[in-house]
Amino acid sequence: MSAKEFKPLPAQPAPVTTTGPVAWVRDNLFSSAFNIAATIIIAASLVAALPGMIDWLFISANWSGVTQDECVKDGACWVFISAWSQQIFYGSYPTDEIWRVNLSLLLLTAVIASSFLLSDRLRNKISIPAFLLLPFVCLLLLDGSMIGLPPVTTDLWGGFSLNVLLAAASIIIAFPFGFLWALGRRSEMPFARSVSVTCIEFFRGTPILALFFMGSVMLPLFFPAGVTVDKLLRVWIILILFMSAYMAEVFRSGFQAIPNGQYEAADSIGLGYWQKTLLIIFPQVIKVSMPNILATFVMVFKNTVFLLVIAVPEMLQVIMSALSNSNWLGGHAIEGYLFVGFIFWACCFSMSLLATTIEKKLDTSHKN
Amino acid sequence: MKIKNIAMTLAAAGLVFSAQASIAASTLESVKKNGVVSCGVSTGLAGFSQKDEKGQWSGLDVDVCRGVAAAVLGDASKVQYKPLTAKERFTALQSGEIDILSRNTTWTHTRDTSLGLNFAGVIYYDGAGFMVSKKLGVKSATELDGANACIQAGTSTELAISDYFRENKMKYKAITFDTSDQTRAGFESGRCDFLVSDQSQLYALRIGLKDPAGALVLPEVISKEPLGPVVRQNDDEWFNIVKWVVNASIEGEYQGVTSANADDLKDKGKPGQKRLLGTEGDLGEKLGLSSDWAYQVIKQVGNYSESFERNVGQASPLKISRGLNAQWNKGGILYSPAMR
Repeated sequence: MSAKEFKPLPAQPAPVTTTGPVAWVRDNLFSSAFNIAATIIIAASLVAALPGMIDWLFISANWSGVTQDECVKDGACWVFISAWSQQIFYGSYPTDEIWRVNLSLLLLTAVIASSFLLSDRLRNKISIPAFLLLPFVCLLLLDGSMIGLPPVTTDLWGGFSLNVLLAAASIIIAFPFGFLWALGRRSEMPFARSVSVTCIEFFRGTPILALFFMGSVMLPLFFPAGVTVDKLLRVWIILILFMSAYMAEVFRSGFQAIPNGQYEAADSIGLGYWQKTLLIIFPQVIKVSMPNILATFVMVFKNTVFLLVIAVPEMLQVIMSALSNSNWLGGHAIEGYLFVGFIFWACCFSMSLLATTIEKKLDTSHKN
Repeated sequence: MKIKNIAMTLAAAGLVFSAQASIAASTLESVKKNGVVSCGVSTGLAGFSQKDEKGQWSGLDVDVCRGVAAAVLGDASKVQYKPLTAKERFTALQSGEIDILSRNTTWTHTRDTSLGLNFAGVIYYDGAGFMVSKKLGVKSATELDGANACIQAGTSTELAISDYFRENKMKYKAITFDTSDQTRAGFESGRCDFLVSDQSQLYALRIGLKDPAGALVLPEVISKEPLGPVVRQNDDEWFNIVKWVVNASIEGEYQGVTSANADDLKDKGKPGQKRLLGTEGDLGEKLGLSSDWAYQVIKQVGNYSESFERNVGQASPLKISRGLNAQWNKGGILYSPAMR
């Protein structure tokens, strides 16, 4: 009697309904009545809108030329953007001196890159001072009068480079300010605490538009005779104060996330207040606050567009001025606004990609 | 409300402060010292103050500043342009940030009397007007009874049109839009029969239409909007200079002096022309300027007619006709006081 050998049947392929593209479509697009309806509506509107949009944006768009008259086809007039590109990116900065703007942008990129590429030891020694010096180096370079270059007054600065540099310069200076305000808010000294709380709550509780208006309309009236403070400088100070308040709150949430044991451990090895704060607490605060810091940076970057309400020639203001030039009155508003939107989206999107990378790099897993 | 009051008080206090301050410093001296005229302009208004692709400013308003720079510094290009919003413009002048405000600003009684400022003349007589589609077959605003009007919300035009229709016992239905772009789009799509705006704007709006030739600007002007340069009060020296630079450009056209023939007429012209150009008399010295001040204005910037045609007239895309802004002996109301 031979034992009957157990032979399993060969495995069946998974049913068509649970694998492959059909299953994906069923699961993701047609899983319920609501999803079916949503899919149909979205697909129908895409089919209705996309061909027209692509045609307007690309196929029948006007790509080459230098004047409005060369926009003969029905589509978008990208000539408008290309003709005004120098204004859009550099404002009225003299053509021969544009290298200084480029150099400033390059320095900014280099400083950001250095914090990735340098080793940990060098990073603290080089990157941090470089970051803090950068706004002033750029200021000297762009103004030029103090370092022997042809002076360029601030009313000529403008365009997208102004958005970028102003946002960067504000957040860099706001960083130490915000840190001090956050420390002050946690401090037990009544004076430091009340000053910090007042500053933070005032600048966080006031809309930035109101601050800009105050800076441009009211502030000049309070200066003594003959003293006028440059408009861009006033704006810069306002942005710094505004961002400091936000950064202070970001840091405060960071401080609160650090377990008390860290403070106690620092105390028990006999570190003083500043040693404890800078060597033990601060590095951990930076790490946990990184996502919020970058979100705040994206916010200030986008806020620079509000400067158009006080006629600072940032990117959107340049577009608006261009639209009212008598040689370009053909109604190119859509092209202009789309372009500004696209540039800002591209920048903010790459910043959030960068943020994800930084978070991964800094992750020493407190997550679990 | 309370905060607004506080802000008003603070602003008023600042005003008093800056008004006192401006007595002390002479604008002419500081302009000569800095070597540049600081000029408040708009952020962009077709034909009046606009920037081109190269960042160069041009326009009727801009030419006032260039004229003053030519008269005072001998070089029309020595102007620093400060673009300002409508809200900022008077503060910028009061605080001394700019020397002249030349930003399509309407000369009104309230502004002239209560802001510590002086209007130094009129360079463009504007006023609310009508644009209709040619298909409508309307030749005069009196035929617009019962029509729909496209208006930009929050402008003085709203008041002007309501007054005008009430006076003429006509009815209209207002369709308001937020921006001038939207107003134009509303007119173009046929949501209204006519569009109301300042005349100078109507021409710019008309160019933006898909078919500019299909629209007509009616002859009626229903409100007074005299636009001119503004200076700080209590600095009569500077006030006189700006006033007479405007007059010199108007007188230049009246006397037939242009940028092309100014050199010839300087020596060979009629007595009036010579006096204007500084070869006779001492008009320049009385202003505290060199004797060829008006020659520099006309040589470098042109007389009023040249400036008008180049920026808003037939040589520009706007093609505004002279209308009220013609010389007094040619059907307009431009009139310069006597140059002697």
